[in-house]
Amino acid sequence: MPGRLRPHDPERNAAEYVSGELRRRARRWFEAHLLDCEDCWREVLLGRAGRRVAESARELAPAELREDVRTAVLLSDRPRRRRRKT
Amino acid sequence: MRRLSGLSLTVDENEDFLKATMGSMDMVYNIARRMVPRPEDAQDLVQETYLAAFRAWTEHRRPRAVEPWLATICLNVARSGFRHRARRPQEVPWDQAPVQAEASTDPERDAIEALDRDALHRAMWALPEEQRVAIALVDLAGLSTAEAAEAMQTPRGTVLSRLHRGRRSLALLLGAQIEERDS
Repeated sequence: MPGRLRPHDPERNAAEYVSGELRRRARRWFEAHLLDCEDCWREVLLGRAGRRVAESARELAPAELREDVRTAVLLSDRPRRRRRKT
Repeated sequence: MRRLSGLSLTVDENEDFLKATMGSMDMVYNIARRMVPRPEDAQDLVQETYLAAFRAWTEHRRPRAVEPWLATICLNVARSGFRHRARRPQEVPWDQAPVQAEASTDPERDAIEALDRDALHRAMWALPEEQRVAIALVDLAGLSTAEAAEAMQTPRGTVLSRLHRGRRSLALLLGAQIEERDS
C-alpha cells in the first residue's frame, strides 16, 4: 500500500490505537486506513469494548489493607546487613 | 531525622517510603487481584509487595517511576512462590466478596459496571494468565505497554498481542450483556 507507515498487523495496531499509544502521524494514517479495512475496524471495535469491560473490573483497595500496610512498614526495621565472610 | 533508641530504624525513611508509595495502593491491589483469585490472598500479596519494596528502598534502590516499580515487584513476589505459599485453597477461583468499585460519572461506564460482577470475574479468570496480566498492567494499573513489557520481561510487541487478545476475549464474552443493557 503506497504511503503505508506501518505493517498491516490488525492486532498490534488496534492494541496501540485503543491504548492511545499511536503517535499523531501514525494515528492519522491508521484512522484513514480504518475506513477501508474491515479487519482493522473489527479489531478496534472489539479492543475498545474489551478495554471498557476490563476497566470496569477496577477496584479500590480496602481501607483496612491501607492501615495494615502502613503499620507493617512503620514497624519494619531496616534489613540487617549480612556479615562478610572472613 | 527521628531515631528510636536501641533500633537502627529511621522513622523518616519509613515515612518517606509511605509518602511515595501509598498513593499507588489501588494500582497494586488491582494487579494482585489478577494474580491470585481470592481477595484475602490479594491483600497478603499487596502487603508482601510493599514490604519487599520497602526493603529495596532502604537499600537505596529507588525507582525513577514508582508505579512501574511496584507493579514489577508485585509480579515478582507473586511468581516467586507466593501463590504456592498462600494458605487458602484456590479451587474456587471466583471471589464472592463484595467489590468496591470506583465512583464514575460516565453513563457508558455505569452501564458496563452494572454487569454481573461474578460474570466479569469469571471472564477475567478465564483468560490465559499472560493475557490477564497484560490487561491488569495496562487497563487496570494504567501502565504504558512499554512499562508493562518491562515488568513482564517480554518484548512490547508480545504485550500488545496479549493485551489485544485478552480485550477481544472479554468483549466477546461480555459484549452481548453490554449491548443488552445499552439497548
